Amino acid sequence: MMTYIVSILSIVFVVSFAGFSSKPSPIYGGLVLIVSGGVGCGIVLSFGGSFLGLMVFLIYLGGMLVVFGYTTAMATEQYPEVWLSNKAVLGAFIVGLLSELLAVCYILKDDEAEVVFKFNGMGDWVIYDTGDSGFFSEEAMGIAALYSYGTWLVIVTGWSLLIGVLVIMEVTRGN
Amino acid sequence: MNPAILITIMSTVVLGTMIVLFSSHWFMIWVGFEMNMLAIIPILMKKYNPRAMEASTKYFLTQATASMLLMLSIIINLLCSGHWTVSTIPNPVASTMITIALTMKLGLSPFHFWVPEVTQGISLSSGMILLTWQKIAPLSILYQISPSVNSNLLLMMAITSMLVGGWGGLNQTQLRKILAYSSITHMGWMAAIMVYNPTLAILNLTIYIMMTLGTFMLFMHSSSTTTLSLSYTWNKFPLMAPLILMLMLSLGGLPPLSGFIPKWMIIQELTKNDMIIMPTLMAITALLNLYFYTRLTYTTALTMFPATNNMKMKWQFKTTKKTTLLAPLIVTSTMLLPLTPMLAALD
Repeated sequence: MMTYIVSILSIVFVVSFAGFSSKPSPIYGGLVLIVSGGVGCGIVLSFGGSFLGLMVFLIYLGGMLVVFGYTTAMATEQYPEVWLSNKAVLGAFIVGLLSELLAVCYILKDDEAEVVFKFNGMGDWVIYDTGDSGFFSEEAMGIAALYSYGTWLVIVTGWSLLIGVLVIMEVTRGN
Repeated sequence: MNPAILITIMSTVVLGTMIVLFSSHWFMIWVGFEMNMLAIIPILMKKYNPRAMEASTKYFLTQATASMLLMLSIIINLLCSGHWTVSTIPNPVASTMITIALTMKLGLSPFHFWVPEVTQGISLSSGMILLTWQKIAPLSILYQISPSVNSNLLLMMAITSMLVGGWGGLNQTQLRKILAYSSITHMGWMAAIMVYNPTLAILNLTIYIMMTLGTFMLFMHSSSTTTLSLSYTWNKFPLMAPLILMLMLSLGGLPPLSGFIPKWMIIQELTKNDMIIMPTLMAITALLNLYFYTRLTYTTALTMFPATNNMKMKWQFKTTKKTTLLAPLIVTSTMLLPLTPMLAALD
């Protein structure tokens, strides 16, 4: 099973993306978002990025989605829409799944596909590897770079997050 | 809005555009666009009526889609060229997609549908920022990638924008929609020359920003948003009536005024590049714009528009509204034509 772990996680990832993109009620969308976040974290972990994967769990799932879950629980409607209760949502979900399936079959048929550049076989499709990463873990080097010569990026990202909060407060003030 | 928040958000709008202007890394350019878009949403929603909310939502959706397209094309460029530096884009797919994303942000046809609706739904001061400041960032990126832009695509967008801006503005009485269609047309002129001489596009942008700022400020001074309320100007602010005349004719591109400079230079540059039909079509479609500008001039400064009797006798109070920078803007928007030979310094 371990050889296919990334493949299984990716399949669950794509299916849960289709699940919340078909727009059920936010509480169910949040549920599927948790699943997709967890599975995405698993994919990052499978490629050796342990720090970043656990960051996703901690901050994204444990911080942002918790707040999202509480706010949607406060604002929930009397009869929330789940995938089986509304034909539109079910239809969108099935269309999403079918288009993903068609894309996969298109790739598997010829064993080569060209969208912007040539994918050759399952190897290129699964991992796009531009070169060898040497002896250092890439994700640790990236995080270290952020705090050494990436100072401007930290400033800009921090300011954007602050502005995000201020803008959302301002927009939802509504008087 | 709380003044501290207003200052923070305004400065973020400026900071976002500045990041786009001075970054050489495509990712930071995308970040600058997103910061700019996020920060301008509360400015568009200054008034909390459903119309403003709807306008802000439309603006957000179109700009977010354009940013997504931009990100996709940045990654395609990365795959094909191997670097993140802003330079000419070798891959035609990436180049076309970046052009489409930037023209969506500018409001060029066929992505112009959001401009009149968003401009109409927001207040005059927000519309002023939307139609002037927000055009700087996308045009600067188009300037930087202009050697690799597909000229057929951009020229097609330019001529259709001029047609849409001209014909769309003909049936309008709401001033904000008129200025929105005027913006679409001017963006079309800028896009047309971007392929051949991008410096003239920047010249066009500068003169357009000055004229549009002056126009918006005059409208804000008398708080007029319809042609009818503009027609009371002769009584409310008698000095404003000939100023509106001059600004409208300058927007239309008539010769002794500054608005003629970009049109003249652009047509000259296009003919130098062996294009005859395109500049002819451009000059002819500029007449459509000129028609509705002169209609505004006519109702404001040249006739006494039909009005109820109590509008013809008003107490003339001293105005308390600040007219910051209005006088220099009007002078630069109308009297710069004799300085055109100085433009030789732009090369």
